Amino acid sequence: MDLQNLFDMSSLFLQQLVNGLTVGGVYALIAVGYTMVYGVIELINFAHGEIYMFGAFITFHLITVYKVPFFVAALVAVATCAVIGILLDIVAYRPLRNAPRLAALITAIGMSIFFQNVALIKWGAQIKSYPLEALPPFFSDVAVRIGDVQVTWLQVFILATTLLLMFALHTIIHRTKVGAAMRAIAQDKRAAALMGINVNRVISFTFALGSSLGAVAGILVGVFYNAIWPTMGYIAGIKAFAAAVLGGIGSVPGAMLGGVVLGVAEVFGAGYLSSQYRDGIAYAVMILVIVFKPSGLLGKAMIQKV
Amino acid sequence: MGIREFLEEHPRAAVGAVAAIALILPWLPLGEASGYVTRVATLTMVYMALALGLNIVPGFTGLLDLGYVGFYGIGAYTAGLLTIHYGLSYWVILPLAAMNGALWGILLGAPTLRLTGDYFAIVTFGFAELVGLVIRNELWLTRGPMGIPGIAAPSIFGHVLSKEWEFFYLMLAILVFVVILVRRVENSRLGRAWFAIREDEIAAEACGINIIRYKILAFAVSASIGALAGSFYARWFRFIHPDMFKFWESILVLCLVVLGGMGSVVGVMLGALVMIPMTEILRVGLGAFVDWAGSAGFTWISPDLVNARYLIFGLILVLMMRFRPEGLFPAVRVRGEMHPGSERERDDEDESFYEARTDHEKEPLG
Repeated sequence: MDLQNLFDMSSLFLQQLVNGLTVGGVYALIAVGYTMVYGVIELINFAHGEIYMFGAFITFHLITVYKVPFFVAALVAVATCAVIGILLDIVAYRPLRNAPRLAALITAIGMSIFFQNVALIKWGAQIKSYPLEALPPFFSDVAVRIGDVQVTWLQVFILATTLLLMFALHTIIHRTKVGAAMRAIAQDKRAAALMGINVNRVISFTFALGSSLGAVAGILVGVFYNAIWPTMGYIAGIKAFAAAVLGGIGSVPGAMLGGVVLGVAEVFGAGYLSSQYRDGIAYAVMILVIVFKPSGLLGKAMIQKV
Repeated sequence: MGIREFLEEHPRAAVGAVAAIALILPWLPLGEASGYVTRVATLTMVYMALALGLNIVPGFTGLLDLGYVGFYGIGAYTAGLLTIHYGLSYWVILPLAAMNGALWGILLGAPTLRLTGDYFAIVTFGFAELVGLVIRNELWLTRGPMGIPGIAAPSIFGHVLSKEWEFFYLMLAILVFVVILVRRVENSRLGRAWFAIREDEIAAEACGINIIRYKILAFAVSASIGALAGSFYARWFRFIHPDMFKFWESILVLCLVVLGGMGSVVGVMLGALVMIPMTEILRVGLGAFVDWAGSAGFTWISPDLVNARYLIFGLILVLMMRFRPEGLFPAVRVRGEMHPGSERERDDEDESFYEARTDHEKEPLG
């Protein structure tokens, strides 16, 4: 193998790595939403992927119908999604807190389908894209170029936003009162209530936090691929869930790590193994982790008690 | 007297009435609609078989299976491929498809059935998605998105089935077989072991039930019924395509089971009897409504409203779980399980109906 060839291969490798990190960061943003909700109410919130989709579509709607500037539209969409997340919990999940878990899980699936079809009826099944003139023009410029490897400002923006939000989330969970309350509820809901924590309010806050991160992820992905469609949340949601499982469900740093690992694995798998099975990598990783190491990378081992 | 009371008091009369209607249905004087009605009735019976098969897992054993369509697809592709490549008779294919379904059920179930409820549900979902990906991508085997056209119709003593009513009676026969099978299993040692697992896994184990083995059996029986229905579908529709076996189908079948009543054989069949024709009515009705709205100038009515029937599936799942989790025609024992009296009792129930609950060595978030 001559030197030029080697150089081409390593630059391909680097390019893939950058793409993988970008995608992985977004998975991580969605995955923390799953893991936080699972942490506090032990429910797989299937509708989380649809919140992500709503983030992308509400932004799209505001930009195209009301001609709102991109960043304002994005902020409004994130806030709206936070409200949708809270309502989702209050209307659908809260009445089932004392019901068998099977009931709650089926409800979550039902809400996911309901949301998906609301979007389908409202915006249609065709793939939509953000009008290019509405996006900040610097997004498509190249920020860094090393040899053949190029990183656009959009990718930098996505990575920076992800890192910033992860840092903010970490601060909220570990340095604020409501974060302490979340951790307490995850540990023992009843004891937390006895200590004077308003459990329902903290759960609402968790939904708001997870949903807004999910919405940000939806907007970032919508801009990155410049394509949004009503069932986009279904695949992304499952992949993010796989990331949460990979990291150890219930563990926030685990979800971050899992998202990045999965994103990179997926991009490399698609690049070097088989692009048709790109989506399959997430499912395969998920099944293997669940079967062989259900506690994930950073989760604690589960002990079945009688 | 409500329908349920009537069914409880006169089960034989009700079954007899339904059977009588079923037997003469293709001959009802419906004029031009007759072929269509027969077709919908056949489809309804396919879904009844699917619902009966799925019911074994969440209804009898208390595990959530989100990937049932995987087995349906495996059955359909087994039948389709064996037919076009080897020209096998449907009567040979029928058991082969069921066995292949059971085989995959065992392969998937053996390593995963020790998982707790949520994880198990997700694994089954991932399995069905992988089956879909393989069907879509392995062109040498399945022709992928081109689908498999021209699958021969089944034949009986050299007579090739071609009329709707012939398929109707074939499916009716298969359905009767499935109902008898499920009924017999329900009242057997095997069925009682499943109920014991559903109601209290730990107590069941203490009574000497090999939990993993019985769960795998449940999964295998359920999978083989799904594959059976799939094999009929392939030979009836005579064309199969990866899009026919998407996640939606799993949800639709789950919807039938939830609506009818998890664990209730009569219930899940009634669920299909209500839902599948309703889906057809909605499809046709909403289509006509959208066309009318378009021509009448109601531009604010989106043509995508035709998809609202899926929205209704979602709502049914949510509303049923909220207000009547035991289903419209519940199994008596499930009704009690679904209405725990207090939070403490709920915690106890959790360990039973929905699998033993895994108590995490809990760690604070973060």
